[in-house]
Amino acid sequence: MRNEKNRISFINWFANRPRVSGFLLFITITIATIFISLLSNHILREEERNEMKIILEDANKNIEESLKNCYSTNVSLALTLNNDGVPQNFNVVSKQLIKSNPIISAVQLVPDGVIKYIYPMKGNEAAMNLNILDSKYLQEEAEKSIETQKMYFAGPLKLKQGGTGIVGRLPIYNKNKFWGFSAVIIKLETLIKTSGINSIDQSKYYFQFSKKNPITSKEQFFLPSKTDLSKSYYVYSPIPDSDWILYLIAKNPPVIYPLVLLGVILGIIIAILFGILTTKLLKKPEELRLLLKDQETKLLKNELRFKTIFDQATIGFAIIDACNGDLVEANNKYCDMLGYTYDEIKAKGIVNLTHPDDLDDTLLNIKKLNEGQITEYFSEKRCITKSGKIIWINLTVSPLWENNERPTTHIAFIKDITERKEAEKLIKKSQARFKSLIDTIDGIVWEYDLETMSSTFISKKIEDILGYSVDEYSGSPSFWEDHIHPEDREFALALSAKENKNYINHDYEYRMIKKNGKVIWIRDIMNFVFENGKPLISRGIMIDITTMKEVEKDLNNSLQLVTEQNKRLLNFSYIVSHNLRSHTSNIESIIYLIESAESEEERNEMMHLLKSVSNSLDETMKHLNEVVNINTNISLVTKPLDLSQYVNKARDILSEQIQLNEASFITNIPDNTTINYNSAYLESILYNLISNAIRYRHPQRKPIVTIKSHKENDKDVIEISDNGIGIDLAKNSDKIFGMYKTFSNNSDARGIGLFITKNQIDAMGGIITVDSTINVGSTFKIYIK
Amino acid sequence: MKKKIIWIIDDDAIYQTIIHKLILKSDVFSAYSSFLNGKEAINTLNNILENNDYLPDIILLDINMPIMDGWEFMEEIKMIKSKISKQIIIYIVSSSIALEDRNKSKTYKDIYGYIPKPVSVNDLITIVSNE
Repeated sequence: MRNEKNRISFINWFANRPRVSGFLLFITITIATIFISLLSNHILREEERNEMKIILEDANKNIEESLKNCYSTNVSLALTLNNDGVPQNFNVVSKQLIKSNPIISAVQLVPDGVIKYIYPMKGNEAAMNLNILDSKYLQEEAEKSIETQKMYFAGPLKLKQGGTGIVGRLPIYNKNKFWGFSAVIIKLETLIKTSGINSIDQSKYYFQFSKKNPITSKEQFFLPSKTDLSKSYYVYSPIPDSDWILYLIAKNPPVIYPLVLLGVILGIIIAILFGILTTKLLKKPEELRLLLKDQETKLLKNELRFKTIFDQATIGFAIIDACNGDLVEANNKYCDMLGYTYDEIKAKGIVNLTHPDDLDDTLLNIKKLNEGQITEYFSEKRCITKSGKIIWINLTVSPLWENNERPTTHIAFIKDITERKEAEKLIKKSQARFKSLIDTIDGIVWEYDLETMSSTFISKKIEDILGYSVDEYSGSPSFWEDHIHPEDREFALALSAKENKNYINHDYEYRMIKKNGKVIWIRDIMNFVFENGKPLISRGIMIDITTMKEVEKDLNNSLQLVTEQNKRLLNFSYIVSHNLRSHTSNIESIIYLIESAESEEERNEMMHLLKSVSNSLDETMKHLNEVVNINTNISLVTKPLDLSQYVNKARDILSEQIQLNEASFITNIPDNTTINYNSAYLESILYNLISNAIRYRHPQRKPIVTIKSHKENDKDVIEISDNGIGIDLAKNSDKIFGMYKTFSNNSDARGIGLFITKNQIDAMGGIITVDSTINVGSTFKIYIK
Repeated sequence: MKKKIIWIIDDDAIYQTIIHKLILKSDVFSAYSSFLNGKEAINTLNNILENNDYLPDIILLDINMPIMDGWEFMEEIKMIKSKISKQIIIYIVSSSIALEDRNKSKTYKDIYGYIPKPVSVNDLITIVSNE
């Protein structure tokens, strides 16, 4: 167990450190590679060494054999000696010996160290009689062979006879007494040739040949070579019976073999690859692990966040058991709203928390939710807090299970809306108050939506003012238009449409027809309500101004009457001032003339003039009196009068003029036409108008007077026309009914008839109009009140 | 001093008689003509446009007259004025003491003055001497 744990932690150590692991692997493989390479290098080197050793051995053997042959040669040579120590048949034997042993270039017999016998002599003469024991140069080696009593090869040395050679000396004892030496001389080059040294692969190796200098004890090399032996790779072997050492030296001693180097390189490459691969491979799980960790952190954070949201939210959350309504989970806000602690609330369940009045509804909704009839529900209901207080909540419940699953839990969101509910209550209350306030306003308050083009409100006052109910109004979209007085409808609609386009507040007056058919005057004050510069609704109040209108009408009538009276008064004062003054000024002048008269005749003339002024004045006074009478006679007696009868009466009075002027009459008065009028006035009016019609006759035609009567707007109209000279109305329309206004040179014209007529008609509350064309005739119309 | 020609335009027959007497008394006029309305006077004027011997020097004009009243006469004379070779002095003579008549007379630059009735001999002499 512990081991297992250690193992895992060991693996983990590496797994967690991909770079280190990769590097370690790299190092390991590299080391292994180098080790193997070294090993293989070593093996290769050993192989080579062996090869060299074999070559060396071969050479050595050859040399040894040659030298051994020399031994036998020497022995054979020694055997030529007789007992006396004199060689027998030396030359013959020697010749034989050299023949059998071709490496030997010459043989010698050296009694007591002096070379006495040489074969062949030719070329070796220089060596004859040389005492080798005497020569410092040769002595030691010679003595060495004596000492060892063995054959000893001396040299290579410079031969007296020329060239380099070796001398194999065999000490010869005759009768246990040193006799001398038998010697063979071998030319070095012959020896080497024999050894087969020359036949080896010259490119790879070469031989060296050394001997310790007997005098200096220093190793002496004999073959030409540039190589420093100490730096070269070589094998060597000593040659027996001499102090020679034969070396085989590698020409290019390879420290590392190319193959091995390749192996190393390959190995390192593999190591690198493995290192990287491992790092990558190990990193992968690390990355995955990091990713996992990251995800984990995120998840944790999210959970924390949701938890925080859940706990800190200003909305109450609760998870409810779908079956029994128990609370599975609830956040702080939920608990706070209801005044319970978390533990308390969990023991409660929604049934206990819900206000009894709202419970049925709640349970029904949950049932529907569980049965899948609805996917969620919203409601506003009451809950009871721990302290017994009733709060209003806004509730949203959604199932936490899929549609086809068994109901498990619901999530409920609740929000305390008690304040809003209370505010709503207040608003409703104040709305009611405003409504009752509006209803008490003495006018119909209305509201119209400009977008939907429909009425949105009408106050109850409509019942008092128009007699229609609010419902009757609301029931007909065109109620307002339909109930405007037909004469005002066009104007009112046009104005309303115009202002609705321009959005200008305005008020206007029109008549409406009440339910009972009565016409009332309405003043409609209209305002536009803007929101963000855009008119949304129009609002107004329709006030019943019928009474005001009547008063206004009366006032207008009175004003008109007063104005008329005033005008007449002014005219009267003018008449008085002008007409009376014209007489008085005449009188004044006449008096002056009487006073300054120079003769009785003249004075009488003036007196006569004065009399006529007096008459005129009297007449004027009468006229004025008449006018004053008309205007002051307030209580005129009126009674129904037969119009035709009065026309005839006037014609009778004027019969003389009618006859004189040959005037004819066209009368068109419906039978039994009676008019309510003052008798004297009617008589006077008819007399004046008919007499004018005849008096101002056209000189070129007989006068025709037309008298008609008809009704206009329920009022009697008497029309009297003539075919006379006519009056230039463009000039005289303002003075035609004035006093003493005459328009012709007719001497009968007094300028009083029309003046009196007009005053009489005015006094009766009627109107007189005139229409006239010069040379065609005039028409007077009397409108009787 | 050369005596003047005076025209009286007035529909009041009594006034015409009186003024005739007064003109004679004043003894400053060489000739006298009377017209009952403006129309008569205009017609006569048109007939004697270039005859200085008959053209009036002074006209006494009433306001209220039938056919053509004083104001209408003034409008008419405006139109023929350029053709008249003599300068005519016009006075309004009226029994009206209404301010509006007096003011209206001031709007005609050809009207020299407004004389309320009655006209005296002195008035006539003054008119002539004022010229």
